[in-house]
Amino acid sequence: MLRDTLQTLLSVYGPAGQEHAVADKLRELLSGHVDSMKTDALGNLIVEKFGSDENARTIMISAHMDHIGLVVTHIEKEGFLRVHAVGGINPGSVWGRKMVFSDGTPGICVIEPNTKGKTKPEMADLFIDIGASSREEAEKMVAIGDVAVYAPDFTALGRHKVASPAMDDRCACALLAELMMYADGQKHNIVGVFSTQEEVGLRGATVAAYTVQRDIGLALDVTAWGDTPETKLPAVKLGEGPAVKIMDRSMIATPWVRDKLFEAAEAAGVSVQREVLAFGGTDGGAIQKSRGGVPTGTLSIPCRYVHSANEVIDMRDMEGALKVLLQFVDLSL
Amino acid sequence: MDLRTLTEAFGPSGQENEVRKLILDAAGKLCGDVSVDRSGNVICRKKGGDPGKPSVTFAAHMDEIGFIVTGHTDDGLLRFQPVGGVDPRVAVSKWVLVGPERVKGVIGAMAIHLQTKADRERVLDYDALYIDIGAREQKEAEKLCPLGSYAVFDTPYTEFGDGFVAARALDDRVGCLSLLRILESEYAGELCCAFVTQEEVGLRGSTGAAFHLQSDIVIVLEGTAANDLGDTPERFQVCVPGRGVAISFMDLASIADTQLFSALQDVAMEHNIPYQIKRAVTGGNDAGSFQRSGKGARTCVLSVPCRYIHSGNNVAKLSDIKAQADLAVAFLNSL
Amino acid sequence: MQADDFLRDVTAMRGLSGDEGEVSAFVADAFRPYCDEVTIDAMNNVIARKKGTGPKVMFCAHLDEIGLMVVSIEEDGSLRLGQVGGVDPRILPGQRVFVYGREKLMGVIGAKAPHLLSEEERKKNYTREDLYVDLGLPGDRVRELVRVGDQVQLDHRYTELQNGRIAVKTCDDRACVAIMLQAARLLQGLRHEADLYFVASAQEEVGSRGAMTSAFALEPDFAVALDVCHASTPGAPAWRTHKLDSLVASMGPYIHPALREKLTETAQENNISLQTAVVPRYTSTDADQIGESRSGVPTVLLELPLKYMHTTVEMLDLHVLKEGGRLLAHFAAAVRASWEDELWT
Repeated sequence: MLRDTLQTLLSVYGPAGQEHAVADKLRELLSGHVDSMKTDALGNLIVEKFGSDENARTIMISAHMDHIGLVVTHIEKEGFLRVHAVGGINPGSVWGRKMVFSDGTPGICVIEPNTKGKTKPEMADLFIDIGASSREEAEKMVAIGDVAVYAPDFTALGRHKVASPAMDDRCACALLAELMMYADGQKHNIVGVFSTQEEVGLRGATVAAYTVQRDIGLALDVTAWGDTPETKLPAVKLGEGPAVKIMDRSMIATPWVRDKLFEAAEAAGVSVQREVLAFGGTDGGAIQKSRGGVPTGTLSIPCRYVHSANEVIDMRDMEGALKVLLQFVDLSL
Repeated sequence: MDLRTLTEAFGPSGQENEVRKLILDAAGKLCGDVSVDRSGNVICRKKGGDPGKPSVTFAAHMDEIGFIVTGHTDDGLLRFQPVGGVDPRVAVSKWVLVGPERVKGVIGAMAIHLQTKADRERVLDYDALYIDIGAREQKEAEKLCPLGSYAVFDTPYTEFGDGFVAARALDDRVGCLSLLRILESEYAGELCCAFVTQEEVGLRGSTGAAFHLQSDIVIVLEGTAANDLGDTPERFQVCVPGRGVAISFMDLASIADTQLFSALQDVAMEHNIPYQIKRAVTGGNDAGSFQRSGKGARTCVLSVPCRYIHSGNNVAKLSDIKAQADLAVAFLNSL
Repeated sequence: MQADDFLRDVTAMRGLSGDEGEVSAFVADAFRPYCDEVTIDAMNNVIARKKGTGPKVMFCAHLDEIGLMVVSIEEDGSLRLGQVGGVDPRILPGQRVFVYGREKLMGVIGAKAPHLLSEEERKKNYTREDLYVDLGLPGDRVRELVRVGDQVQLDHRYTELQNGRIAVKTCDDRACVAIMLQAARLLQGLRHEADLYFVASAQEEVGSRGAMTSAFALEPDFAVALDVCHASTPGAPAWRTHKLDSLVASMGPYIHPALREKLTETAQENNISLQTAVVPRYTSTDADQIGESRSGVPTVLLELPLKYMHTTVEMLDLHVLKEGGRLLAHFAAAVRASWEDELWT
């Protein structure tokens, strides 16, 4: 079910630019459930499910497969790996973290204690220790250009919450996958886009939105949180339902699409929150501006500690989101 | 066509006319289908006819960093701003040429004897710099170098040291030179060499070219910063002149297609072409536009290491420039 | 409709970036008498066409306004604010606003009173986080009427000053929409070869999103973007501002030099004075996105000087606005297909 799909997807390696393993896993899950599957030049996985209505609209729904990581830029003589961020990875969040490369080779990310009186560590202060004692030994294990990601690590917290790296945005991939699996005889055509390279600038979605014929766009992504002691904005709380996005830096949700999401939530009996994000963006930003413009909205999963190794969401918000989506693809639009 | 002619042509972003004419002339001799598109790019096409082969575009930019005149002072000096990313610290005490007529000017600075200690520590930003063409008053300056005139560093092409060259605009006339080399080849599929405009001010020309070309594979030929001398720690060097053409896995505008990144290394090894991996994620270039335009493309970047890039004196090794063209041609032949 | 009446009315219309419905409908109606076809697209861009057989020309001025948005509601009913587009928080304390909740509500923006601030605090500007909207209602009533995401619009007060100068909010960029309307009206009496599209674009303040999509859809051959620029005020650097009393035409890499020359020629022929702005890179107007559309569009930028940009008292010279209409109309009439051949010589 949703939780199983989520757990499966969370463990797959897929930093921005190298999402093929995630796409392969999704192909496996969706085989037999969709009417077509294809991949484009940027590795986006595009799947289709036709609608039953003769006046069906085509809804493009996007969830991104990529997650953040660290790319190896240099191998020191002593065998340590110098790195650069792939996506918005904060040097402060990676200290002491276990990372893995595409073949499972593990490493520990370290910030050299001597940061020359700086108050905040920078990328240049980091290295990954893979246990090699020399450059030659390290070169047998990894190459410049290889990308390390947070090691998979799924944990249940309390009754409803789960923590893991890559919740951004595998939780949305799980939602989209489940939607494709369980939508049955819905009014509208759904084109599910499992996009690439969102974390480095919505690149996959930009390309997919250009080629996919669509009347309406919807992005699925995590949003930040406002329910810990010092963090109050955006004003969303885990466990109080998925959030309908009003605005973020990449997009101001098209008012009528946003209102349709509220309508779908009401019809599904799901309580939703309203989200205004002062920073950040989602694939929605790319979709709305594509070609001649597309009415677009975003449905978000509130997520604590976004871009850390332990992103936390509430499964009730996920269940609610799936219900809203199933309703949305069946609404008069 | 040689590197000297290319680098001594006047072509800052927004006024590439002189370079465009040179390229049209040189490319016209190598290719029957040469045109100028809506963004001022020179597009050269060769169709091999085999639909089974991927369509390939090689791209390099014609424009260079420079300056633009934004005002005139009462005493005949020119106020100016940079066109493209030029750190003001490399502008002081240099020679420039203003306009395609090449009016000579100098960017002076207050003599050190007249500076206070505090003055000496402050970076002179563009609001504090002037180009002096020797005019006596405002009217004269306005007549010779009107508002909006472009300027470039005045740098004569000079080969020096052990196979090195010092010139302006190695970024990216080296790429243009490589493109002309590639135009000498034949390819079974669709080949395009795109000489684009305005890369330095936001990848503008390539955005336009990418839209109408829509090739399957795009290889961008660039100049990239090499930071290898002095006591720079290895990890900050990025790449080293002399070690060959630098292949990028990622920069701020694009992530290389992983298969292309591998294939280019394989081809280089097979043909004994000296190459290195660019050891940094810095800068952005036309690959960013090509990758994300329209239906998208698989891209990778091949760069010539250039010391002091975006200054008046770029320095590169001639063997690296040759390696860039060699690898591009060998890669094309491998498809 | 007279230019100043139109300006007075259009600047009051509700139309924050992303929700321009009301102002788009108003602008569409205003263009209808002078155009062959007027449509509003999915992004709320208004596209008003005057048919012609020649090259397609896109004129573009944006109709969206900057504003604020409710991001959270305090226990006591005061509203915390986020911004839509770039809003300088220094214009906000003591300002009247309208909150579009379940009804339109008047509010005042408040902050901690100065006499309650420490010496230190009084030396710094208020940031948006220090401010709130006071609706004069108890907390639970506020929660019935207002929700997170509701829009907050700045106060509208059209003020006539000396010498034909007026001050009102959202001259950026509805004054340029007024210029386009003037031009459309004048063109009733002029012959034009070109196929003219007057686009009042949406979402410029958040990244020229309307201009981007409308340029893609229209595929123009040439474009003229219209926006406002800074007029001289005390302390502002002379080389970054212009005189209030005439139009400005930009030059720089993003402005097509051949097309710009055509614009300056038209101005000379019609005795319209033009100042020059040199822009080394981004113009930060719709011109940037339009110029990059598809394979590229030769574009020029015409600007109206404004004092106090992005405040509620943006000031312009009405005479210059009218000159803008004249210039645009004559330029439109001058466009020829042969201009294509002169682009890259």
